[in-house]
Amino acid sequence: MSLYLWFVLMLVISVLWLIWFLYRPLKSNTLNLENSNIALGRQKKEELEQDLQSNLIDEQAFEQAKDEIVQTLSIEIEQINDIIDNTQQSIPIWLIVLILVFLPSTSLFVYESLTSYTTPTVHTEKMTTLAQSIVKIRQRVEEKPDDAAAWRMLGLALFKSNEIDLSLEAYESSYQLESKNIGMLVEYASTLAISQNNQFTGRVSTLVREALEIDVNSTDALYLAGWVAINAQQFDLAQKFWQRTLSLLSNNQPERAILQNVLNELSQMQNENTQPIQQHQVTINITISEHLHQVNFQKHYLMIYIKATQGSPMPIAIQKIQLKDFNGVVVLTDKNSVIPSKKLSQSSKVLVVVRLSKSGSAMRQVSDIEAVSQVIDVRDNPVVELKL
Amino acid sequence: MLPEIGHFALIISLMTAILQVLLPSIGMLRGSVVLMQLAKPLSWMQLFWVVLSFALLMNAFVIDDFSVKYVASNSNTQLPDIFKMSAVWGAHEGSLLLWALILSAWSVAVSIFSKRLPTQVVNHILIILGLISVGFLLFLLLTSNPFERLDIVPIQGRELNPLLQDFGLIVHPPILYMGYVGMAVPFAFVLSALIRGQLDSTWLKWSRPWTLVAWACLTFGIVLGSWWAYYELGWGGWWFWDPVENASFMPWLVATALVHSLSVSEKRGAFKHWTVLLAISGFSLSLLGTFLVRSGILTSVHSFASDPDRGLFVLIFLMIVVGGSLVLYAWRANLMRSSNKFSPLSRESGLLMNNILLVAATLSVFLGTLYPLLLDSFGLGKISVGAPYFDTVFVPIMIPAVLIMAIGAFLRWKEDSVGRMIDATIHTVFIAIMITLITYLSIDNIYVALAVFLFIWVVLHSLLLLAQRLIKKSNINSSFLGMILAHIGIAVFLLGATVTTQYGVEKDIKMTPNEMVEIEGYSFTFKGVNNFKGQNYTGYKGVVEVGYKGERIAILKPEKRQYVTGMPMTEAAIDPSFYRDIYIALGESLGDGAWSVRLYYKPLIRWIWLGGIFITLGALLAAFDRRYRIRVRAKS
Repeated sequence: MSLYLWFVLMLVISVLWLIWFLYRPLKSNTLNLENSNIALGRQKKEELEQDLQSNLIDEQAFEQAKDEIVQTLSIEIEQINDIIDNTQQSIPIWLIVLILVFLPSTSLFVYESLTSYTTPTVHTEKMTTLAQSIVKIRQRVEEKPDDAAAWRMLGLALFKSNEIDLSLEAYESSYQLESKNIGMLVEYASTLAISQNNQFTGRVSTLVREALEIDVNSTDALYLAGWVAINAQQFDLAQKFWQRTLSLLSNNQPERAILQNVLNELSQMQNENTQPIQQHQVTINITISEHLHQVNFQKHYLMIYIKATQGSPMPIAIQKIQLKDFNGVVVLTDKNSVIPSKKLSQSSKVLVVVRLSKSGSAMRQVSDIEAVSQVIDVRDNPVVELKL
Repeated sequence: MLPEIGHFALIISLMTAILQVLLPSIGMLRGSVVLMQLAKPLSWMQLFWVVLSFALLMNAFVIDDFSVKYVASNSNTQLPDIFKMSAVWGAHEGSLLLWALILSAWSVAVSIFSKRLPTQVVNHILIILGLISVGFLLFLLLTSNPFERLDIVPIQGRELNPLLQDFGLIVHPPILYMGYVGMAVPFAFVLSALIRGQLDSTWLKWSRPWTLVAWACLTFGIVLGSWWAYYELGWGGWWFWDPVENASFMPWLVATALVHSLSVSEKRGAFKHWTVLLAISGFSLSLLGTFLVRSGILTSVHSFASDPDRGLFVLIFLMIVVGGSLVLYAWRANLMRSSNKFSPLSRESGLLMNNILLVAATLSVFLGTLYPLLLDSFGLGKISVGAPYFDTVFVPIMIPAVLIMAIGAFLRWKEDSVGRMIDATIHTVFIAIMITLITYLSIDNIYVALAVFLFIWVVLHSLLLLAQRLIKKSNINSSFLGMILAHIGIAVFLLGATVTTQYGVEKDIKMTPNEMVEIEGYSFTFKGVNNFKGQNYTGYKGVVEVGYKGERIAILKPEKRQYVTGMPMTEAAIDPSFYRDIYIALGESLGDGAWSVRLYYKPLIRWIWLGGIFITLGALLAAFDRRYRIRVRAKS
């Protein structure tokens, strides 16, 4: 049944209800104010006598109060202007017509007026999957290609579905339409950084700078500016950005804890940087199973990386190669470090992860195959055996 | 499609409310009983459509329909079902819908349970209630549509504030709203009486039970809010003088005065001006509370909705209600003449003093709540008004109110003498003073000694009053018992609040595994922290062994939760008892297994809420008194 049929049904129920009570009116209780006040006056007198018995009033005041009750009652009766004596039982036809017209027409008019500022959309089913949502947003941007907010939403949805390149295209479209949107700039910069294996350089730093030009107190932009500074090995500047971010966050914001951890890591790292570092490396032998050697896997990417056992999931060192070019062994050294300031040799307890990915995306996708090592210590220059 | 139906149901309920005002009013002007009697069926129809609308919004939450903006903003798929349902009133739009639902439910209750009122009076009251409904439904539809759709449907909704993911949210707002909105009923009774020009015994008699029920709901709602804040916020406090708490406290104070004022008006025909003004103020303060919460003028944990347009709407509505009511009052003031005289020492004077003190207390809270806002809005700087102000201004006003409350019931109507009063209360006064002196000498704390004095003072006098009635075999009705219970409730609350404030101990300490600390004879041994996972959060659960005199009395497990959206929450662990609470909140990890832990010892804290429950029960006992079931002869 269509929506408007439902509306009609609801209006019919309402009108029928009203007409029913117009022709079958509820019976009045036939009480009137005069009798009600007299009954209450009588009750007051009885209570007054009880008060006298309970010694809550003395004899003299009792007589006075009794007179006052009578006096009050006479004033009340004098004030009564009972309208019930002048009743008229018939209902004029114009009134019934008015009711029949008023309720449906005003209800529909109000509904149309209140919903006219948005595109009337009737949602007949629940949106549940990311793919369905992306389809819906795509339809929207096709209908309204100048809708910067929709492009941004598409960018976010595509990012969530790990389609990073398409996400970047959508963000670029949003950027071209409305480059002064700070939220979009931050999302665009973050996505771009992820596509560059967490390198906050080049266009990323430009976007972050543009965001800060719009609002120098944007905590998101300041946070990213810290990472741009880290990439440029300007640790003091990064610390300033993050400390400023921290001062702008309210006490109950969960980002505070994350930021505090990052700042702790930074100061720890700066301390370590003052000491000479011995170079270390991790050798990873990877055995690829027979069926992965088939032709349709040859263009897949092998992502081999090292990450800390606790804290940030961001890789410390990474190497990405196509399966067809892989010879069975990878050696990760400081040259493979993601952040120049945090070299592999500065780490201790880590995990080695090998992931076979069709897209080569930095983020894990559903179809990816992954193997993770036991905890190893980089300082031992270990050799790790992994099997895919 | 269902949200559109819900939206349309709201629109029909608005139209029904408009008809509920128009048709019976036309009927009164034309003298048509048929049109006048439509007030009742229209109020039922209004309730039906609002209930449908509310049920459809709840359904949208339960089935995770994130195409509805309100659902997407306050719920997600991981939220447990019970909280999906209570999330309906977890934010602005839904709580307004709940408001409209409760208002129409009150209207239906008035239409059904006012059988002893003449029908035309009930119809009049329903017209006023319909008018209030029109205001709220317009507010809902024009500024706060809960069924608004999103053009782009998000995959996942946002998290309902974790503070609200609690049993407290399920019960506190609906009960508090029952009280807030319930104040509309005495207001409608008063307005109806003013419009009709019949400020008579009928109005006074029948508005009292409704006022008592609304007051009971308001009391219980505030008690639940205080209890919720205590165990949920992790600070161990029970009242913070938060502006929104004050917004509910002000109507409570006025409703308390109104209940007492009504009793005098009803019995002696005096205080009609007081009664009318208190009924208008009570509902106006409820609206003011709404304005404060919705406008965004306040920064508070309760201010989940901030929108200047909404604030402006409520402000205009408030001005119409207050302005219109006061104009009506001025017009009809000459009808409230009373020849009933009473001496300065009489029960009427005692109740008058009670009214004055309660109104003064309301004004002190009003000033403390609004003064900082006014200063800020006139650009005269920012100030913060908190507990020190209220302790200095509010408490001294309430002490004489409690003193009068206890002995007021001994005073005779119209006139009494000092000598008789001394004879009646000398023994109890002596006992109260002696116990207080002994208490003061043994504990050397003036505040607790004063609280003990007031407690003994009220309880002794209340029990003495009961004993006198029993001995004289006088009439003991439930209204009298309700008064005794409510007065004892005030005393219990007062003692609990003072003792817990004066003798409560709070310690913020670092604890390492197996470390033990002692507070007030209780030992707390920290056993460490475990990880755990809930339906929509992960967290840490601390284990603390609590001992007393060498024996283990409880194992408490305070939690630190991290909700899926990243919001952290503290879940305190409490070992409750009649005499004291042991309260533990887990802080932050400090490394090497050490954690910051907050330990509280809270003596008599349960008495605070026990007092509130006594007051609630007392109000309900009084509301259902046999006196309100008087039979009136039908028209001859």
